[in-house]
Amino acid sequence: MRSARATAAALAWLAAVPAAAQNVITSAGPETAAVTVYRDPDRETGRMLNLGWLGGYALISETRTVALPAGESMVRFEGVASGAFAETAIVTGFPEGIVERNRDADLLSAATLLDRSLARRVRLRRTSPATGEVREQEAVIRSGAGGAVVLQTAEGFEALRCTGLPETLVYDGVPAGLTARPTLSVRLRSSAPATARITLSYLAAGFDWQANYVGTLSPDGRRLDLFAWLTLASMDDTSFPDASTQAVAGQPHRERPEWQPPRPAELRLRCWGQGRGEELYDGEAIVVTGTRIHGPNLAALQAQAPAAMEAQQEDLGDLKLYRIPEPVTVASHSQKQVALLHREGVRVRQVYRADIDRDRIGEDPAPARRMLLTRNRSAEGLGLPLPAGRVVMFGAGAARPVMLGAGAIADHAVGEDVEVQFGDAIGVMTSLRRISTKEGRGTYELVVSNDHSRRIEFEAMLHFGDIRTRARLAPRGDARLWRVTVPANGRAVLRFGGAEN
Amino acid sequence: MRALLLVTTLLAAPASGQISAEIPPPTQSAQGDLAVTIYNNNLALVQDRRELALPAGRSRQEFPDVSAQIRSETVTLTGQGIGIVEQNFDFDLLSPQALMEKAVGETITLVRTNPATGAETRERARVLAANGGVVLQIGERIEVLRDDGLPVRVIFDRVPENLRARPTLSVTVESDRAGRRPLTLTYLTPSMSWQADYVALFDEAANRMDVQGWITLTNNTGTSFRNASTMLVAGSVGQDQPERYPIYRRNQPPPQIRQAGTQSSARERIGDFYLYPLPERTTIANQQTKQVSFLDVRTTPTTRGYEYRNAWLHSADRPESANSVLRFSSAREHGLGDALPAGTVRVYQRDARGNPQFVGESPIPHTPMGSQIALTTGAAFDVKVQPTLVRRERITVDQWRASDRFRIIHRDGTQTSGERERLVSTEFWQARMRYRLTNARPQLVTVDLFQAGLDQSSWSDTRIVEESQPSEHLSADQVVWHVTVPANGSVDLEAVFQTPY
Repeated sequence: MRSARATAAALAWLAAVPAAAQNVITSAGPETAAVTVYRDPDRETGRMLNLGWLGGYALISETRTVALPAGESMVRFEGVASGAFAETAIVTGFPEGIVERNRDADLLSAATLLDRSLARRVRLRRTSPATGEVREQEAVIRSGAGGAVVLQTAEGFEALRCTGLPETLVYDGVPAGLTARPTLSVRLRSSAPATARITLSYLAAGFDWQANYVGTLSPDGRRLDLFAWLTLASMDDTSFPDASTQAVAGQPHRERPEWQPPRPAELRLRCWGQGRGEELYDGEAIVVTGTRIHGPNLAALQAQAPAAMEAQQEDLGDLKLYRIPEPVTVASHSQKQVALLHREGVRVRQVYRADIDRDRIGEDPAPARRMLLTRNRSAEGLGLPLPAGRVVMFGAGAARPVMLGAGAIADHAVGEDVEVQFGDAIGVMTSLRRISTKEGRGTYELVVSNDHSRRIEFEAMLHFGDIRTRARLAPRGDARLWRVTVPANGRAVLRFGGAEN
Repeated sequence: MRALLLVTTLLAAPASGQISAEIPPPTQSAQGDLAVTIYNNNLALVQDRRELALPAGRSRQEFPDVSAQIRSETVTLTGQGIGIVEQNFDFDLLSPQALMEKAVGETITLVRTNPATGAETRERARVLAANGGVVLQIGERIEVLRDDGLPVRVIFDRVPENLRARPTLSVTVESDRAGRRPLTLTYLTPSMSWQADYVALFDEAANRMDVQGWITLTNNTGTSFRNASTMLVAGSVGQDQPERYPIYRRNQPPPQIRQAGTQSSARERIGDFYLYPLPERTTIANQQTKQVSFLDVRTTPTTRGYEYRNAWLHSADRPESANSVLRFSSAREHGLGDALPAGTVRVYQRDARGNPQFVGESPIPHTPMGSQIALTTGAAFDVKVQPTLVRRERITVDQWRASDRFRIIHRDGTQTSGERERLVSTEFWQARMRYRLTNARPQLVTVDLFQAGLDQSSWSDTRIVEESQPSEHLSADQVVWHVTVPANGSVDLEAVFQTPY
């Protein structure tokens, strides 16, 4: 045993597999990596990336070079993403194939070290607090279960950490099968020494991306300069420098994987009497990463400098893939932005809209919502896939930037209508009054007021059944849409009869 | 014994050597020419114009002294002759835990201090694992760091590349030439907000009110903004609207805006926003609240009124206070003549010695110019209403029919009268309500007495068949009586309601 350890390579004491006959080869990290980021399928449209907990995932493809001796070897891959799903790993490029693939997550910690040393000989080291004298004696661990340790020494049986003396156990070696971090490995056989250039691909949790659109509205409110960032983020512990990087839009189906960050066993020793457990080491420092989650979350700002690099879009089956043209670093715990698209002079329409239902009866006059409407086709100056993301709009021409609104869009294919909902318009108010009711039907009066010195386009979504009115209404889902132009500094009134839905 | 890990880090050089921005001394700020635009939903837009020396070609620029709460995905950098390659936000933070985790597999130095003698011993150790207890290899021994609670200093040789003191924003730019030039950095930050505070001095004898409006802005970003050109924007940019869940309380304050106005304020306006620029540059210090006047209107016509809202068939055990209401207008004519940003109105009245005393406050929403406003400032001490359900009884179909008659006056002057054919119910009820209004003030008052709940269901067809003074029909749900109550007197108002069911 001893001689075997002495000859082991510097890193080999971490070996996951005890078989001494086997060669253990450690591949410390990838030479090149490609990272393709998929969005969190459960993140609501327009919700900002939560940098502290990213629910999307990434496909990571690494190339590594491994020198294989003849015979059976175990190749351990270090430096993989900490969020790797081992069951998704694909390893190609070994000349003679592999025998088995493993993921070892039995982590080396104070608790596992103690647990696996049961019935083994260790050394007990005590330091006299008075003299500073250090004394070591041999001991055998007789019980290591349930947070208390009983040791057998030359003098009899003792309990660890119940003496009041500073004392600790010193071990001769690390029990086999424990690793510092969850590790992927393959077992294979090679008939002759060879150098293999292999590809390791796997899915990893803890990534996400979205688009951040930045619109600049012309002074007449009819044209929009639209720029977008591709914003991707990683909360993985591993950095991928100079990685070929892509992002995928669309909805590939993926079962919600059960992934938890590896959590090592805690060691808490309990003694008799005191009723207080002594903690060996509490990994107290919780790293709080710099993220802000709450509040309005808005995308990047106006008047973009020309992008020196823009992502390129290509079709990938039913998905859309955005490729960052140059290798970039996907750093651990970081967010990255590169240009996604830029379109000038997009034709847009601004309308005010309100949802009108029975809950509004007798309530305060409420502001209407501001909407920006367009259609995703080349006639309007668009006509390209628009991945979901947040939208921020600025007004052009002012001495200083003024943000006009923040909203979000879902994925939009070419040809679809695009509606972005911004905040409330404080000068356009609606109020609803029920004038009378008879036999389950009401007569209602909707008043829209406009404090602008220009006329505005207003739309009301009426959520009532069997609406009767002189005005022309258009069906819109379950509701009826009333469109009206409200005169400058004026009001518009709709009287209608309807049943309550 | 907590926090056992003593860590000394050697921060001789920053982790990334290519940082080009210099670190300023604490009293100096790297901020340039600042323009801050503050929205009143906890959001500010910061424009920071800085002179930076750029090399030709690509370089990575960091920006110190931005808001500590910067929303990294909203950053935009513009300038002459630059293009943006990518923007990065790195938040893998340097902490004892992160330092130890990144040191797995590395060699560190341990300095042990003997508790009795104070003698120091140095050893080199390799970190095997840092999962719940740091497992170390020291020569041939395996130990858990500070397992015995004795003092051990851990000295790391270096700080890993990617760990940072705080979340760091960097922009990689491509510049067409070398040299100093102004760059404009724009971003959004939460934790800066403003609201309006109104001080209203009501002169009851003259029915006039003086109103001063103050803008109160707060900065909780963790960063001070020096010598900033500041503008406040009234309106909502979107995405942060609290849900409108009306809370029903008995005699609850009715809406403040009784009718939404349609006049345009003379203030500067962009889109749907009103702008309130501060007259001169100012420093917005961290954790500072700053107030600036924006409105000062003297002797606007204002009347005191009393309102009482009664729920359907509600009887009170004892007289209940009417709401004390101030009615005024934001119109150009006989009003405040301005749009009012959302805030709180605090009302003061002079006491017998002429000193202003606080008599109540009320929030107001964003209020367009030209609106009719009724502020509920509190409950009146001397003006009370006691509603009593005197009698509720079943009535016959004939009694119901008696009130069922209608009359149609035709254009030619002829009349038709009759009864409705179909009965909506087989059971009919009559309720007699008595409202006792009392006034302990030495002046006559007028109380607006609202009876709500007339359309409990939309089939209810509630009728008032008898009332001691005429009511005003407001909606299907509500009627109001304007009741004049003599000085130090009382009035009984009676009404009889008939309902099906």
